Amino acid sequence: MGADVLNNVNAMPAPTWHRLGMNETAVELPEGLSFAAQVEVEAAAELIGEAGAFDAAVAALQERVDAARAAGPADTRAILKAVDPDVDPADLDIPALSTYEHKAARQEMANNVAEAFECGMGEQATAWLAEAAGKGAATVFAPAAGKHGQATVRIAGVDGAANVAAIDVVAPAGATFDLTVSLDSPAAGSGVVGVVLRVFAGENAHVNVTSVHTLDETWMALDDTGIVCDEGAFVTVRHRMLGAGKSYTGLATDLRGDLSRVDVDTRYLAAGQDVRDFNYIVRHRGKKTRCNIDANGALMGESKKVLRGTIDLVRGCKGAEGTERETVLLVDERVENKTIPVILCDEDDVAGNHGATIGHVAADQLFYLKCRGLSQEAAEGLFATATLEETALAVEDETVRAGVGRLAGRLGIPYQEVEG
Amino acid sequence: MAKQRTEVADIDRSLYDFSYGDSTEKLEAGLTPEIVREISEKKDEPEWMLQHRLKSLEIYRNMPTSDWGPSIAGLDMDNIVTYVKPNTDQKSDWDSLPDDVKNTFDRLGIPEAERSYLAGVGAQYDSELVYHNMQDTASRMGIVYSGIEEALHDPQWEPLIREKFMTLIPPTDHKFAALHGAVWSGGSFVYVPKDTKLDFPLQSYFRLNAKGAGQFEHTLIIVEDGADLHFIEGCSAPKYNVANLHAGAVELFVGKNAHLRYSTIENWSKNMYNLNTKRSTCDEGGSIEWVSGSFGSHVGYLYPMSILAGRKSTCTFTGITFAGTGQNLDTGCKVVLAAPETSASIETKSISKGGGVSTFRSSVVATPKAENSACSVSCQSLMLDDHSRSDTIPAMDIRCKHVDIGHEATIGRIGDDKVFYLMSRGISEEEARTMIVNGFADPVSKELPLEYAVEMNNLIKLEMEGAIG
Repeated sequence: MGADVLNNVNAMPAPTWHRLGMNETAVELPEGLSFAAQVEVEAAAELIGEAGAFDAAVAALQERVDAARAAGPADTRAILKAVDPDVDPADLDIPALSTYEHKAARQEMANNVAEAFECGMGEQATAWLAEAAGKGAATVFAPAAGKHGQATVRIAGVDGAANVAAIDVVAPAGATFDLTVSLDSPAAGSGVVGVVLRVFAGENAHVNVTSVHTLDETWMALDDTGIVCDEGAFVTVRHRMLGAGKSYTGLATDLRGDLSRVDVDTRYLAAGQDVRDFNYIVRHRGKKTRCNIDANGALMGESKKVLRGTIDLVRGCKGAEGTERETVLLVDERVENKTIPVILCDEDDVAGNHGATIGHVAADQLFYLKCRGLSQEAAEGLFATATLEETALAVEDETVRAGVGRLAGRLGIPYQEVEG
Repeated sequence: MAKQRTEVADIDRSLYDFSYGDSTEKLEAGLTPEIVREISEKKDEPEWMLQHRLKSLEIYRNMPTSDWGPSIAGLDMDNIVTYVKPNTDQKSDWDSLPDDVKNTFDRLGIPEAERSYLAGVGAQYDSELVYHNMQDTASRMGIVYSGIEEALHDPQWEPLIREKFMTLIPPTDHKFAALHGAVWSGGSFVYVPKDTKLDFPLQSYFRLNAKGAGQFEHTLIIVEDGADLHFIEGCSAPKYNVANLHAGAVELFVGKNAHLRYSTIENWSKNMYNLNTKRSTCDEGGSIEWVSGSFGSHVGYLYPMSILAGRKSTCTFTGITFAGTGQNLDTGCKVVLAAPETSASIETKSISKGGGVSTFRSSVVATPKAENSACSVSCQSLMLDDHSRSDTIPAMDIRCKHVDIGHEATIGRIGDDKVFYLMSRGISEEEARTMIVNGFADPVSKELPLEYAVEMNNLIKLEMEGAIG
C-alpha cells in the first residue's frame, strides 16, 4: 500500500545546515498498513459541495491574478535575471542565488496560484494521504456565499490501517465556516490517523479550522493543510496536538489576496518518547496581508519536538506584517526541542517579527506560584493541565472532549471536566 | 511630478580598489596533489603537515558543496591559483618592503595604525606574510606574535601548533575547510601567556592582490588562563572581473578566566567568494567577544562559532552585514552551550540594497550539560529598497531543561514615522534617513576601536541622493 517511508516531509522552504537535522524529516510508516477510509462526517447536507470546487475556485482567482499582473509594471530586478537559464554564473553583477532563492524567483515570475499551491507536509506526504483517503474521495464543504456553516470530521484509529480523511473547504465570498477535525484513538491498536485538508477562503470569507489530536502513543498522526486566501479572507487555525506517539503537522498558507489574514494558534504536549514535528509556511503575496503564528507547548519525558515556521514576504506584499512567536516549556531533563523561526523577505515595505522563548517557568512567575504554595513541578504541571482544559473549553464536540479526558488520564495530568 | 524614493548609495570602495601590480611567483591554477606537495615543499614543512594537506585534499574532493547557501557555480577551482608568492620575504621594517607592497599597505593606513595604537602588526600580501612586527613591551611580556609558518619551524612552538592546528575546524567540517587544510598559506600565530594582559590590540591585515587567486591564511590564537587580548583582523582586495577566493581559517583557544576580543572588518572586493571559517572554544570563566563587519564579496559564507566548553564561559557576538548590488552575503554565527552556567549574547544587523541579498543564519545548541545557561539572539534587518532581499534563518536546538533561550528578529524598512519625526525637527529627508541608517549600524561601530569605527563608517558611507517631493 504505497510508500513505507515518506521523504522530505515538513521541509522548510529555505534549508540550513543539514547537521542540525531540522531541514525536513523522513516519516517511517508502520509496515503492512491497509487503507481504512472510515471517516465520520457531521454536517448539514446543504454544506456538501461538488468535487472540483477547490480547483475551480483557484482557477477563478488565477484570472484576476493574471489581470492584475498585466496591469502592473514589468519586474526588472537583478534577482529575476539570475533565473535566466542563459545567464553566466560567473557574472558578478547578478547575485548568486541559493537554490531556494532561485525557486522563489521562478515562482514569482510564473505567478501561478495552482502551481504554487502546497500543503505544509510536502508533495510526497500530501499525495500519500490523498491516496490513503481514496482517490476522489475528498469531502467537500462549500457553504453558500454570505452564509454560515459548520462541520465536524472525526477520524478514529483503525488497528493496522491508515485511516485518513481528505477534506476540501471552499468558502465563497462573505461565507463563514467552522470546521473541527478530530484525530482520536478510542480503541486500542496502532496505525496511522491522518487528514489532508485544502481550504479556499474567498473574498471576505472567514474560515475557522480546529484540529485536535488525542491519540494514544501507539498511533501516528499526519495532519496536512494547504490554504489559499482571496481578498480580505481570514482563516484561523487552532492546532491542539496533544497526543500520538508521533505526530507530523504541516500547514502552508498562500495569502494571495490583499488584506487577507491567517492566524495560527498552536498548543502541543509531548510526553514519554513522543515526537512532535511541525512545519508552518505562510506566504504573503497580497498587499497588507497579516499572519500571526503563536505556538505554545510543553515537552515532558524524553519527547522531541521540531517547529519550523516560515514567514515568506514575497515581493509585492506591500504593507504586510508577519509575526511568529513560540514559547516552549521544557519540563524534563531529557527532552529535545528544536525551533527554527524563519523570515524570508523580498519586499521592503513590510514588517516581519519573530521571537522564541525556550526554557523553564520564568523565575518571577515561579516565585509568584511558590508564594502560593506551589512547587516547581506543580507549576509545570499546571501548564499541561491548562493546555488540556483550554482545548476542552474551546471545542464543543463531546467526542473530542472525551478524547481529551482520556488522554489526560493516560498522561497522569490532573484534569477536570469543563463545560464549553 | 511623481515622488521618487530616496536612494542610499553603495559603499565607496575606491579606497580599497587599487593595485600596484601583480606578485611575481604563482603556481599553476587548479588543485592537484602535485600543487599541494609543491606548496608544502616551498614551505619546508614537517611531514605531518604534508600528510594533513594531502588528506584534506582527499576530503575536499569527496565532499559535496553545500546546497543551502548562495550558489558558488561561478567559482571554478580550475581557474583559481592557490599559491601566489609576493616578490619579497617577510620583513619587520616597512621601508624594507618593495615599493608596490609598501605603497599598498601605506594606502590602507596600516603602518600609521601601527604607530598610533597597535602593539603589533602582521601583514599578508597574497599567500605570504610580508611584514610582522611587535612592540618590545609585548615581547617582554612573553607574548608571541609571529607568522604561523615561522612558529611551525620553531621547535618551541611546533608541538603546540601540531596539537591545536585544525582541531577546532577539522577538514571534515565542510568542503572549504578541507580546501583550506590542503592549500593554507600564511597567517598568524599568537600566544598570550598566563595572566598576561595586553593593553593595545594586535592586528593582522590580509590583502589579496593577485587576479584569479585564492587566499588561505590560517590564524591560530592561544590565550592562556587569566590572559587578555584584543586581536583585529582586516581584509581587502582590488576588484577584478574574474572570481577570487578567500577560504581562511581562524582558530581561537581561550583559557580559564581569559578574555579575547576578535574584531574583523571583512572588506573584500565584489568579485570575491569569501568562504571563511572562524571558531573559538572557551574554558571555564573564559570569554570571547566577536565584532564582525562583513562588506564586499560577491558571495559570503561566514558564521563565527563559539564553543562554550567551560563552566561560566561567555560569548558575545556583534555583527553587521551590508549587501549591495550583485552581492549575496550569508552571514551569522553559531553558539554551542556545552557547560553549566554559560551565557551568550548575539546582536546582528544587516542591510540590503541595490538588489543585494543578505541572509542572517545562526544556530544555538544547548547540550544536556548546559544547566542554568542562557542565550539571547537579536537580529535586525533593514531593507533600503524594494528590489533587494533579506532573510533570517535562526535555528535553536535545546536539549537541557534549565536554560533560558530567547530569540527576537525583525525585518523592515526605515519607518516613515521616524523620518517624519526627524523632519518635523527641521532635518531634511536625506539627512534623516542617513541618521537612521547610521544609528542602525551604531551598535557595531561603537564596539570597534575608534580608527576602525571610522573605517567602517567610511565603508558604509551612505550618500543620500535622489529627488524628494
